[in-house]
Formats: sequence, C-alpha cells, structure tokens
Amino acid sequence: MKLNERSVAHYATCNSPPDKTGVLFKKGERNTAYHRRWFILKGNMLFYFEERDSREPIGVIVLEGCTVELCESESEEFAFAIKFDCVKARVYKMAAENQATMESWVKALSRASFDYMRLVVKELERQLEEVQEEARSSQNAAITGPSQEGMSSRENGVSWSKPTSVPNGVSEGCVWEGDCGRGDGVKPPPVPPRRKTNGGSLESPVSPGTGCFSKLHDWYGKEVAELRIEWLQSQ
Amino acid sequence: MCAKSLTSISPVFPTTVVKRRVVKLIVNFLFYFRTDEDEPIGALLLEQCRVEREDDQVFSIVFLDEAERKYLFECDSQEQCVEWIDAVVKASYEFMRKNLIYYRTEIHRLTGKDPLEQYGISDETRFQVNSGLPPAAT
Repeated sequence: MKLNERSVAHYATCNSPPDKTGVLFKKGERNTAYHRRWFILKGNMLFYFEERDSREPIGVIVLEGCTVELCESESEEFAFAIKFDCVKARVYKMAAENQATMESWVKALSRASFDYMRLVVKELERQLEEVQEEARSSQNAAITGPSQEGMSSRENGVSWSKPTSVPNGVSEGCVWEGDCGRGDGVKPPPVPPRRKTNGGSLESPVSPGTGCFSKLHDWYGKEVAELRIEWLQSQ
Repeated sequence: MCAKSLTSISPVFPTTVVKRRVVKLIVNFLFYFRTDEDEPIGALLLEQCRVEREDDQVFSIVFLDEAERKYLFECDSQEQCVEWIDAVVKASYEFMRKNLIYYRTEIHRLTGKDPLEQYGISDETRFQVNSGLPPAAT
C-alpha cells in the first residue's frame, strides 16, 4: 500500500510540537530483544528513531484505535503493550526505564487518538459557546472586578491571529468568534460530567476504518529500516 | 467518526493520468481504493499540508515538504468540492490542537478557570499555548 512516506517522515521531524518524547525499549519483530529507541509522539502517530539525533524515523506506529495495556515480561520490568482490535495486527511490546516513565507513556498513548482530541475540542467548543452566551446576556449588569490584566491569550507572549494563513487553514470553516465579553460578572460554566481519567477507558472506539488501518499497520510492520539495523547488529 | 466516500474523485498526477478512485477520509488519513476493492491501495497522511481550490470542482493537496507536487482531486459538483476541502482542512491533528488551545484560552479569559483541569489534562504538552517552541525531552 502506498503512503506519502516522505511527508510522513517530514511530519515526524518538522517543528510542529511533539506531544511527548523520550527513550523507550521496543521489542523487535525478528530479533526479539528489546531495542533502545528514541520515541516522538505527535498526535496519533508514534515515531521512533535509532537515536535522538537521527535525522529520520525508522518506523512509526499509527495509534488510532489502539489500546495500551501493562504487560508482563520476562526480561523487562516496566513493560506495556500497544494492541489493536484487528486480529492480524502486530502487538507492539515496549518497556520503560522506570515506573514513572512507563505510567506517563501509557497515559499519553491512551489519549493520543484523533477521536479523543475531537471529543475534547467539541466539549470545549460547547463550553465556550455557553460562556459567551452568558456573557452576552449579562452584559447589562454592572461590570465589576479588576480589568482583564494578564490576559490568558497573551500569557506566554503569544498573540492570537486567525489561522487561515497557516497550512490546513485555507477553508473559512473554523469559527473564531472572539467575543470580548467582560467576564467578571459571569458565573463559571456548569461542570460537565467528569470523564474517567484512567487510561483504560479513554481508548478510542473501533474505527469503522479498521480495515484501512490494519493495512497501514501491516505495511509498517515490515519496518525495513529497523529490520536492516537488527540484522546489522546481529552480525 | 465519519468516513466520507465518493466514487468520482480522480487523482490527477503530473503525468496527467486520470484515475477514478473511491476516497475515504478517516481521522487524518485519506485512503483511496480501486472502485470495487475493499482494501486501500494507498493513503495520505493529512498533516503539514495545504488544501486549495483549483477549479469549480477540483481541489488540490500539497505537502509542505514537497511543494511542487500537487495531488489533484476532481469532485462531482461544486458543493462536494467545498465539502471535501472543508473536511480535509479540519482533518489534521494540528488543526484540532490549535482550536483546542484557542477555546481553552478564551474560556480561561472569560471565566478565570482552566476548562481542562477537570479532565486532569491541563499539563499535557500538546495543550500548552507556547508549545510551538522545541520542548525538552520528557
């Protein structure tokens, strides 16, 4: 199956911010030892490199629809596995250097799916609409409280601009209603139902595109570059 | 979760070969199939790309690292073309992340509260405003 591989590799190393990076040990496919690799998590893609300084990834795991579980290993103490619903898909066995790192990765990988992100975005969009609505309806009330100093939108010296000039932003479809409600008189939005935060319940549901992704997993299961390295190391 | 599929989209490569394909948009991937087959013959990861209207019914996808290469898609109608462009633009993780940060910041500005706190995810790197800077290893 073809993939825009060069662009995928570019995505791994370009300056869009990674969600998590670090060393993990990954069990090889043919050579079943655990190999030390440098991992970069971006969105729903988990890239791995031979070393931190490597220019290109040697493989990638598409995390959509995956579940992440702790697992037992004879040789590794802090082991976990990335699994998929598709029966044919490879199980990726990984190990971390310590308990804290392992937990951190398991959490991050469980929440890496596109679906999860989409849910959170929709929820915040809804909350913002509510807040803006309340701000509009209470604008007649006297404005109390301090002025909006230290405005969050500039907290880190980043000012907001419409994203239409950036990639993936050609469409006017995204809603950027910067309603300047003076929010001090507004009561906080109702608390949405609390989402369970343990990793197990946040895995994305089975994607209807599971067949497509199993093909991707299968394709990347070949991991030509990694197999070559394993072979070289075994010489 | 939605998968849009259309039977009349034809990738037109620089060699001007026109092929009819079924195209499915699933999360941030565009899978394409031969019309009567179940398994995709290819996929495009829709990150770091630009989508543009080329014509009434034609849009293009260009990847930032290979800007001279255009993937062209012809739709059945103008409406479909607009729909597809909108869908592809919104299909990137990066797009969602930016929206999320915007909503979070606005909600915080209006209410003084961080809406992500109740989910226990307010510290995640991907949700920080300044995470455009190269992060330290975690």
